[in-house]
Amino acid sequence: MNNTENVIEIKNLKKSYDHGNIKALNGIDLTVKKGEFISIMGPSGAGKSTLLNMIGALDTADEGIIKVAGIDLMKTKKLNQFRSQEIGFVFQMHNLIPNLSVIENVEIPMYETNANSSEMRERALELLKSVNLEKKIEQKPTKLSGGERQRVAIARALVNHPSIILADEPTGSLDSKTGEVILNLLKELHTQENVTLVMVTHEPYVGNMAERLVTVLDGKCKTDEKLR
Amino acid sequence: MSFLSLVVKNPFRNKTRSALAIVGIAIGIMVIVALGMVTGGLKSSTQSTLKAGAAEITALQTGSNSFGSGGTLNESLVNDLLSTNGVKDTAGILRATNTSSSASSLGSNSSQSSFGPGGSISITGIDSGKLSLVGIDNVNGSAFNNGSTDEIIIGKTFAQDQNLTVGNTINLYGKDFKITGTFETGSFITDAGIYMPLSTLQNLTSNDNKISAILVKVTDNANVTTVSQNIESSYPNQLTTTTAEATAGRINQGLGFIDTASWAISLLAIFIGAVGVINTMIMSVYERTREIGVLKAVGWTDKRILGMILGESIVLTLIAFVVGTIIAVVGVEILLTYSPSVSGIIKPSFALDIFARAFLVAFLVGVIGGLYPAYRASRLSPTEALRYE
Repeated sequence: MNNTENVIEIKNLKKSYDHGNIKALNGIDLTVKKGEFISIMGPSGAGKSTLLNMIGALDTADEGIIKVAGIDLMKTKKLNQFRSQEIGFVFQMHNLIPNLSVIENVEIPMYETNANSSEMRERALELLKSVNLEKKIEQKPTKLSGGERQRVAIARALVNHPSIILADEPTGSLDSKTGEVILNLLKELHTQENVTLVMVTHEPYVGNMAERLVTVLDGKCKTDEKLR
Repeated sequence: MSFLSLVVKNPFRNKTRSALAIVGIAIGIMVIVALGMVTGGLKSSTQSTLKAGAAEITALQTGSNSFGSGGTLNESLVNDLLSTNGVKDTAGILRATNTSSSASSLGSNSSQSSFGPGGSISITGIDSGKLSLVGIDNVNGSAFNNGSTDEIIIGKTFAQDQNLTVGNTINLYGKDFKITGTFETGSFITDAGIYMPLSTLQNLTSNDNKISAILVKVTDNANVTTVSQNIESSYPNQLTTTTAEATAGRINQGLGFIDTASWAISLLAIFIGAVGVINTMIMSVYERTREIGVLKAVGWTDKRILGMILGESIVLTLIAFVVGTIIAVVGVEILLTYSPSVSGIIKPSFALDIFARAFLVAFLVGVIGGLYPAYRASRLSPTEALRYE
């Protein structure tokens, strides 16, 4: 797949909850090219996170078309394999496993690959070096600062060489200075690893760091603006 | 880190909760192993009483329902019984107990003031040529001479308990006896006793020409029950008989009850243990709901999540198996070390099937207890799990 091809293709995607009473996505259309960095913004309840969950195959749509990395998510049964190979998640609360060391947390997604223990360790170490945490690989997440934890989460998201990083409010639990460091790191790794970055945020200054800004309202794309 | 290491590591996140779950299961395992060791030991001892060469029938004074002390039968009956159809050999034995004595090693002044269960020891008088009828086939050293008045042989259990060996002397009825040999039959009763010439014990206990019982060995083709009935019908109101098989059967029946109780305890342990494990694992799954959501988000399959939780449950119960087994073995050994009255009767069994049964119970508890929480975890919706607070 070259950088002119669409890595995400969404057409008229709909998702409702509570027996159709809550329409989280109401016919959304979106295409994202490989290697793009896009921000999705909108008020609470607009459908940002639902859209991200659909792209990451954490949830299934009611109707519409959604193809990610060439895979039709409405048809495939191998959603776990898709998530393992194509998607890297970065959550607001980092969600690291507290009893595992930093490096063990980064290795976690690799259990579904054919990598052996030493290959897992090597790849995890490589990524922890790239997020400047090589000196803290044996520490437990509880001993790390918020920014450091989010860097571990970023390394974990990249460990299986995904096509797409889905970041849900990645700076939401950080102070502005640390948040900026994390955003710069995400941008740098997105370029370095040639990975598509889709970030959900409600903070305008964070959203404006992307190459493209999409706003969502009432389960539909309201604006789609190229920033740079 | 391998997946297996992760599974082994996870149960110890909440050390207190895991330790309590382990203790609960370990108690059940301990009971299973300890009971198994004790009943297994008693069973093998019972089997030893049926060994080839030993007498199949014991004839006692009618009305006597136990293998009591003292002379109640006339010794002449020993030869009389030889004429009964199907009888190959007979031996008269006199049984007595000695409650206070001392033992001293030759060439030393060391002494011990008491021995045996309750400080008493069972002494049997028998012709040395008839020792095989009580199951004594080999004597380490030599058997006593029938004409001697100061020679005895002692059982292995008694020798060990009293720290005695061949060549030592022991005081019985105020008289020193030299130990000419030791023996081991496998029967906890026989091995805890002393044997001496019949005539010597008759003299010491004022039972001249009197015996307690007659041991009867039947011919190769004879039916033990028929011979037994023949003896009783030939000596009505005088002799009553009991066969070794019937005695062993009665003991085995008693042990069977203990065995059934042991299985009942095993089932109870499985039930109680499984409830404990379900509780522990459900709590663990609840606490880790968000984490399970993350694992699903990074591509873990439902099968792997199920395997992880089930594996953690099995790890808990296998640790409980090790802990329970160690406590049971050490506990039984301590009991036997500090309670000579019990150690004279019980020789614990270390048969593999006892530990295999306990392992099976532990494994089943792990599987049964972990299955529901593991299934629940594997079926969690990733989005709902990630939203869980």
